[in-house]
Amino acid sequence: MKKAFATFVLAPFCLLMAFPLVWMLLTSLREQNTIFNGPVIPRKITGAAYREAWTSIQFPLHFWNSVWITSVTVIGVLVFATLSGYAFAKLDFPFRNTLFVLLLTTLMMPSTALIIPLYLELKSFGLLDTQAGLLVLYISGSAPFAMFLMRAFFQTLPDELIEAARVDGGSELTIFRRVILPLTRPGIATVVIFQFLSTWNEFLIANTVLRNTDSLPLQPVLFTLMGQYSTNWPALTAGLTLSVVPVVIVYVRMQRQFVAGMMLGAVKN
Amino acid sequence: MATALTRDVVRRSAARSAYRFGSPLRRSQRIAGYVFVAPTFVLFLAFVLWPILYTAYLSLTSWGGFGAPRFVNFDNYSRMLHDPVARRALVVTLVLTAVTTAILTFLGLVTAVLVNLIWRRVGVVVRTILFIPGIVSFVVSAVLWKLIYDPNIGTLNRLLGAIGLGSLQHPWLADHKTVLPAIVVVTVWGGLGFTMLIYFAGLQSIDPNLYEAAAMDGANAVQQFRHITVPSLRVVTGLIVSLGLLNGFKAFDVIFVMTGGGPNHGSEVLGTYLYSLAFGTTSGSLPQLGYASAFSVVTMVLCTLAVLAQLWLTRRADR
Repeated sequence: MKKAFATFVLAPFCLLMAFPLVWMLLTSLREQNTIFNGPVIPRKITGAAYREAWTSIQFPLHFWNSVWITSVTVIGVLVFATLSGYAFAKLDFPFRNTLFVLLLTTLMMPSTALIIPLYLELKSFGLLDTQAGLLVLYISGSAPFAMFLMRAFFQTLPDELIEAARVDGGSELTIFRRVILPLTRPGIATVVIFQFLSTWNEFLIANTVLRNTDSLPLQPVLFTLMGQYSTNWPALTAGLTLSVVPVVIVYVRMQRQFVAGMMLGAVKN
Repeated sequence: MATALTRDVVRRSAARSAYRFGSPLRRSQRIAGYVFVAPTFVLFLAFVLWPILYTAYLSLTSWGGFGAPRFVNFDNYSRMLHDPVARRALVVTLVLTAVTTAILTFLGLVTAVLVNLIWRRVGVVVRTILFIPGIVSFVVSAVLWKLIYDPNIGTLNRLLGAIGLGSLQHPWLADHKTVLPAIVVVTVWGGLGFTMLIYFAGLQSIDPNLYEAAAMDGANAVQQFRHITVPSLRVVTGLIVSLGLLNGFKAFDVIFVMTGGGPNHGSEVLGTYLYSLAFGTTSGSLPQLGYASAFSVVTMVLCTLAVLAQLWLTRRADR
């Protein structure tokens, strides 16, 4: 009875929530001349819009930019976050808590508010309009949050393990690499998914830092696409769909880990 | 909480005496600690702490990006008070934040309760459907909804026409009255999955015995919801409210892409206004980096308040 009622309420709501993305997919499969007067569900499905989006906006180039910028950011963040997360969780050193609290202030500072000094800073380093500059901002902006997640994971590991390794004479770096890291696979996976999604989707910094069109990742390109292709809806929605595919694949495949990490991040901060 | 703190203090003083005796194991740990933290900390100093301080400084200057910034005291802040666009941006930011937070909190709770009621398998599907909009980038959802809202041929207007409500057709994003509700819809669409999921996790941690006991005492479903579910979720609600505030105060991408702050500043928020002051090229004038920085400072203060609100709510709920 209760179940039926809940389903009855949720079903139309889900349809409503799913509608925009389904509509995006359907529009991208239409022929250009049927978008304004054809039926909602296209009678004839065509991949022409995908071909057009693929070639006319140099999709492969920007897709590749996104892929490698995201990969380097993920790896970079992982290196910084595992090292510092481990230190904050398991190593005793003076001012540990002060440093930790200081780093945490990062979590609430929005990039909108910091974009002016960051822009000026990249300019003075000669990194403006370079992907290297973008990477520096991505890694420095995300490392503290990832560090915070990793610290929570490291805290679940027993101290005895580390003590035993120390007594056996392992250096701190060896202990970290050989004993700790292999045990933190789930934590690392969570950070990877998180970082992948947020870097792949980032728009403000990329749009501000990069002016040279060839070096742009996908999100700012989709934004400029909106102006250029405002009348060619199939090509525009095809571009959107192509940019969403990797994100959905990663999410669906790693849903469980993502949700666990989100809980950890949300509940702890 | 208190015991954890005591334990921490005891452990730290023990650690401190160990340093004094200079145990080699301790020393290598201390060195490793600093070495492991150093890279992250250097990045933090250069790209977070310094920018925060520099913004605060810039907000007290008048600067167009060339030459040296000229110190003007709090002029930018008093200018803000007299600038109608700035006032509008602040009001719109606060209104949008309040409305989306309220809707997200309410809808998140309701959907989580409903998802918790239905069959497990179906629940997973529903959760995925509600969550997918949240992993799509803000740019994608903003472009998508802009097409849906398109005044001439957008799907929303076509649907209204098809079901005989043609009189309601509207240039949604070009009208002062409808632009903010239109933005709220997009924000809620993207944020609901997250809110629902957090509430869902909260619901699952409530002791089922409480409901049984209440049912024995003759409490109906509504009473159980009011007297068990809602109070048990107080910490979760505090979290969702403060995250909602935080996201609202830093709202940028969706508005920037959909309206750019228009029509005629109708959807201008702090983020879009500061961006156009600093990077806008339409007016052809110099960027106003000093004035724009004052908006950065206001945004940071609001975000800090949101975090403090959460700490306060959590502490109150703990008691």
